[in-house]
Amino acid sequence: MAPSRSSKNSLQSVDLRALDYLTSPSANLLCPICHAPLITPVQTRCLHTFCSACISLSLERSLTCPVDRKPLNHDDVTPAPIMIANLVNDLVVLCPNREKGCTTSCARWLVESHVREDCEFAAIKCAKEGCDGMVERREAEGECVHEEVECAFCQGPIRKLDIEIHYKECPKLSSDCRYCSKSFPNPELGAHKLICPDEVIDCAASHFGCSYSSRRSELDEHLSHCHFVALTPILQLHTERIETLELENKAVRQKLDLLVPPRPLPTQGSGANSSTANDYNSAGRDMTSEMQDYTYHLYSEYEQLRSDVERLNAQIRELDVKQDMARFNEGLRYNDEMAGVRAAINGLRMQLHWLVASRRETGAGGAGAAAGPRSIGGSSVGGDGRRMSVDSARQVVKL
Amino acid sequence: MALPKRIIKETERLVAEPVPGIQAIPHDDNLRYFDVSIHGPAQSPYEGGVFKLELFLPEDYPMTPPKIRFLTKIYHPNIDRLGRICLDVLKANWSPALQIRTILLSIQALLGAPNPDDPLANDVAQRWKEDEPGAIATAREWTQTHAAP
Repeated sequence: MAPSRSSKNSLQSVDLRALDYLTSPSANLLCPICHAPLITPVQTRCLHTFCSACISLSLERSLTCPVDRKPLNHDDVTPAPIMIANLVNDLVVLCPNREKGCTTSCARWLVESHVREDCEFAAIKCAKEGCDGMVERREAEGECVHEEVECAFCQGPIRKLDIEIHYKECPKLSSDCRYCSKSFPNPELGAHKLICPDEVIDCAASHFGCSYSSRRSELDEHLSHCHFVALTPILQLHTERIETLELENKAVRQKLDLLVPPRPLPTQGSGANSSTANDYNSAGRDMTSEMQDYTYHLYSEYEQLRSDVERLNAQIRELDVKQDMARFNEGLRYNDEMAGVRAAINGLRMQLHWLVASRRETGAGGAGAAAGPRSIGGSSVGGDGRRMSVDSARQVVKL
Repeated sequence: MALPKRIIKETERLVAEPVPGIQAIPHDDNLRYFDVSIHGPAQSPYEGGVFKLELFLPEDYPMTPPKIRFLTKIYHPNIDRLGRICLDVLKANWSPALQIRTILLSIQALLGAPNPDDPLANDVAQRWKEDEPGAIATAREWTQTHAAP
């Protein structure tokens, strides 16, 4: 049951924004961005309502409300009151397959299920096993129209769907000429149409203004005394000349556009600035082509140099930043190393103090001096005494 | 790509209820490209002139502003020799809630109220500040030479 049901569902997607409405909806229900009735309405902190998709797109570019330009974040957008959503969802829309013939109109929230499950004109998959073609739902009950059949006249394989069109072109069949009603085999019909004496055609000079038209067989007589036809060669010549001149004019205008710089050339002093631009303007009219080329060349060179300077500036800034970074990193490393060295020096100083103290003890002929290093932390009293002496020795060294 | 419904609606409304003094007609072969003509506002140096502009709606319109350029030469401190317009709503202050008609109205208003303090054409703006009557006379002269209807 389930698979047969799903195969009858249309995969045609419905673009809610492209729907046509039965009556034009109130302007209050339109999204200020897409100008269509709201789809999934949301409300901003400043109480404006938009389609959810529209405001997200807008916030990607600018974090302001499109209506009053107040600052706005993605978090300031919340679903609009249910009532608004209901109002827009209940608007009556026409079926998107209206052009194919569906006359259904329904509430907007129903239109997707209408197309998916009911619309007779929605495209669904052909029911035949293994066929990939699509067919309108109303024709799905009949046999598959995608399989090939043999044309009864030319024996060629033709899809059933296209057979009606094929009969009009099949080389083994004849069709009637639209104008003289005589029958011709299909392959010859095209050639006949060019010479059919009964076809109504325009005078040969119609594009120069002659409004005469008659059957082909009677046109010759008109042509012999038509003024427009007599004038055709000269008119043709004029048209061609006008076209060439227009082309030339266009080229010249483009050149002029290039010549007139988008901003005035930099000059010393503000007073000189405007007068130079005016000179430039008046001179531009009577400049020889050589001068124009030269000015254009100068201007483009100036533009190029300016962009070069800008590029170099950017590079210098980048290098500056890089160098600052490198210096900072190096500084950190040196700091670490310094700390290491300082610790090592402190260790050495401690050892030196101890050595000096022990030497002094030996020099003083202390009994326990020989056992100095070994008896550290020995008996508590002896230890204390020795430590005191060590401390005093350190003070001596420090002094 | 199909034309978004919003552009179709805007075009229909521009044709059905045109703004006084402004005309915008889409090209037959490219419905995103409009030929625009704006009448110079009354009591301005551009009065009596009809200025031609081109307007193009980019692919992501209305998220990005339309591109507009004057085709008729005009002497105005905020419009340069190439016809480019210095107007905040056409750049940073664009909002997708704005439309073709509101933008064209803003341009018409700009003709009525030139702003030499935010110039695009430096020489014109300079003159406007130093010798306003002279600048206005030139603008009027240019209107008669280039923008005669």
